[in-house]
Amino acid sequence: MVELILFYAFAAVILGSAVLMVTVKNIFHSALYMAASLFGVAAEFAMMGSFFLAGIQVLIYIGAIVVLTIFVINLTKQISGGPIPQTNEQAVPAAITGLLAASLIILAVIKTDWFTRIAQSVAQSEATDNTAIIGQQLLTNFVIPFEVISVVLLAALIGAIAIIGKDKEAAK
Amino acid sequence: MITLGHYVVLSALLFAVGIFGVLTRRNAIGVLMSLELIFNAVNINMVAFSRFLGPEPALGEIFTIFIIAVAAAESILGLAIILAIYRSRRTINADELNLMKW
Repeated sequence: MVELILFYAFAAVILGSAVLMVTVKNIFHSALYMAASLFGVAAEFAMMGSFFLAGIQVLIYIGAIVVLTIFVINLTKQISGGPIPQTNEQAVPAAITGLLAASLIILAVIKTDWFTRIAQSVAQSEATDNTAIIGQQLLTNFVIPFEVISVVLLAALIGAIAIIGKDKEAAK
Repeated sequence: MITLGHYVVLSALLFAVGIFGVLTRRNAIGVLMSLELIFNAVNINMVAFSRFLGPEPALGEIFTIFIIAVAAAESILGLAIILAIYRSRRTINADELNLMKW
């Protein structure tokens, strides 16, 4: 019962800050609402027993991506702080598209008979910490993707430096 | 008792909000931030399916780690491109960036 209350509380945090994030005028406030929403997702991960992923979510998303986004928002401040409307005129079609996508998935969830598909032993099992399993899997079965992703990150780093490294106007 | 359906519905709603943000934000940074919401919706789905009916333990978690890493790379490159566009065009509003339209 406590779990259910916590689930709904965190779901309210996630969805409430997500809706505020896409509708609020100031893009800087939008970034802060994104941090709140991502924190809610981290809490849901923790409730599902993925404590490692909850930590990763806080460290990488909130600690790196949100901070990076705020840096870029501050570097492009002249237009972001002004009275220019931050949303375009597509609000109604966009809302229809989003609601259709969501209702399609929710309809599929309702129509699916989960209880015959979920093995009860798996479904009833308590949320346990599986950090050790993740570590073992990453260094045995998934070692090649693990190495490839490090190369991808290095390439992204070098690419970002190559794209914005030479600022001739600032050098003057 | 929380079921898999709870998490899938939460993920679907978050996905819908993300789609709304991608389609309505004028600021390109806002579009990128809404994309992160969509990634998070997918991540919730991955972890929930892995926990409730995963064939192997922690398989979905490992996929989620890779998704987070790719999302970080995508975010870095996207923001770098936005900054480069801002330097040359002095705007990052997506509807004013029509240089490649004909």
